[in-house]
Amino acid sequence: MEINNLAINLEEIEKRYENPLDFFRGKKLCLFKACLEKYFPGVRFGIHDFLEELGLEVTICQNQSCCSGTFFQRNLITRAQFAAINERNINEINHQADILLVSCNGCYNSLLRGRDFLKDDIVRKKTQDILNEVKEKMGSEKYHGQYDILENPKLRIIHDLDFFYLIREELVNTLKFSLKGIKIAVHYGCHYLNLDRDKDTNTYLKDKTKLEELIRLFGGVPIDYQERESCCGWGASQIVIHPDDALKVTYKKLKSAENVNACFILMPCPTCLYTLSKPEFRERIHKIFNDELEIPTIHLNELIAILRGCEEEQCITLRRKSPRFDQIYAHITEE
Amino acid sequence: MEDKAESDEEWNYQFLEELVEDVEENQNIRQCIECGKCIGECPASKISDFNIRKIIQKILRGDKSVLKDSDIWYCFLCERCKRVCPKKGVNIPLLILNLRNESFKKGYGPQYNDLTKYVEMAENFLTNGTVLEDPLDGSLSKERIDELNEICNFARIKYVFKASEASKAYKKKIHKKRVKK
Repeated sequence: MEINNLAINLEEIEKRYENPLDFFRGKKLCLFKACLEKYFPGVRFGIHDFLEELGLEVTICQNQSCCSGTFFQRNLITRAQFAAINERNINEINHQADILLVSCNGCYNSLLRGRDFLKDDIVRKKTQDILNEVKEKMGSEKYHGQYDILENPKLRIIHDLDFFYLIREELVNTLKFSLKGIKIAVHYGCHYLNLDRDKDTNTYLKDKTKLEELIRLFGGVPIDYQERESCCGWGASQIVIHPDDALKVTYKKLKSAENVNACFILMPCPTCLYTLSKPEFRERIHKIFNDELEIPTIHLNELIAILRGCEEEQCITLRRKSPRFDQIYAHITEE
Repeated sequence: MEDKAESDEEWNYQFLEELVEDVEENQNIRQCIECGKCIGECPASKISDFNIRKIIQKILRGDKSVLKDSDIWYCFLCERCKRVCPKKGVNIPLLILNLRNESFKKGYGPQYNDLTKYVEMAENFLTNGTVLEDPLDGSLSKERIDELNEICNFARIKYVFKASEASKAYKKKIHKKRVKK
């Protein structure tokens, strides 16, 4: 049985299509529901609204569950159970779409890792046994193969950052505002930056400088800082298990970006965004390190919505934005 | 002076074989050249005594005390070590997950009280399909929730969930008694 990891090969699309957007035209797109989008609805809105403007067919899969990475990383479910949850999601989405876009590094990693585990014969057998039991319990399938491990399904997965980067020339034409030369620090997040599946082949994820390239394209200045590649501090829920220790990592990251006078930190993951921006974490940092950090943070999808001229309330979640972000929003959107 | 690391009697692969039986990929940790690149880049090593090189040394010497080390619970699973490792196929995050699993089985892992932060998330996952209350897109249908519960049968997440229900029932009982008084 051939188990592929379903990730879209960016290089292949760039080679085959003069305008990479043509690859997506006529295909059914689906947005993966990341749990933390609840706190940052602008992350979902940012890509959904953009895809609709491009005239692409986009849906949400109502039967999709959380990717369950949180539980797997704390050993609360086995590899086979994790793979079964993942395969159930992939099967449901494959049934209704051709391309799955993912806004969260954690979900993206889970989707690829779940498939990777199935390459192990023992895990694959255990996973299929679990799915067979589900099938028996549920009585019947709603569609053929609902509870089967998929062999080479049509569905392909792409991270939102890779999607925006791939169609960057088309994207820049839709922007109403520019970044007007402001300095921006980038944070990729571990589960995007450290994916080693393309370590040797340099295939589908390619270089990890896409955020910097997009910033330049949007008229901003990417600014390097010492902790560019470090973790946000979430670290498989370390921030809830060992908060004061994990916040040292968060503090170092934020401080390092402030030290180079970055206006804000741009990232492609709502989990990192949650960690780097949660007011309670900032307050705790203030208490521990006696240092009040004000640097704002934003998800790429939210920034693109602002640059496209969408309503402020739709782009950034009012609950989470800091006063300094108001200034940035005003600066960018000033006519 | 004899180098301990090069002495044949220091090596004992029995523990490693047990780990390999569960996760075949663990076989690759024998390739570790102790270069320390992973430690230099590890966020957990910066805030705790978590030290991948020492953990691997213990495993390759058959020292099961590593299962009792609280340090193994500090790993961020960020996969940085996997990225910087000069050897192919050394999968430290998977090894750590495997060690934690063995630690749980032997009763050294976190107890229910240490997992309280996960109680709410487990409860949400097994009742609405996400880790948060009132998800953005609403709950999954009952049928879909039943599927998730079936998949998670006999998993620790179920025990955490059941323990939370028992704890809630107990608190309710105490509350009722107090109100009566």
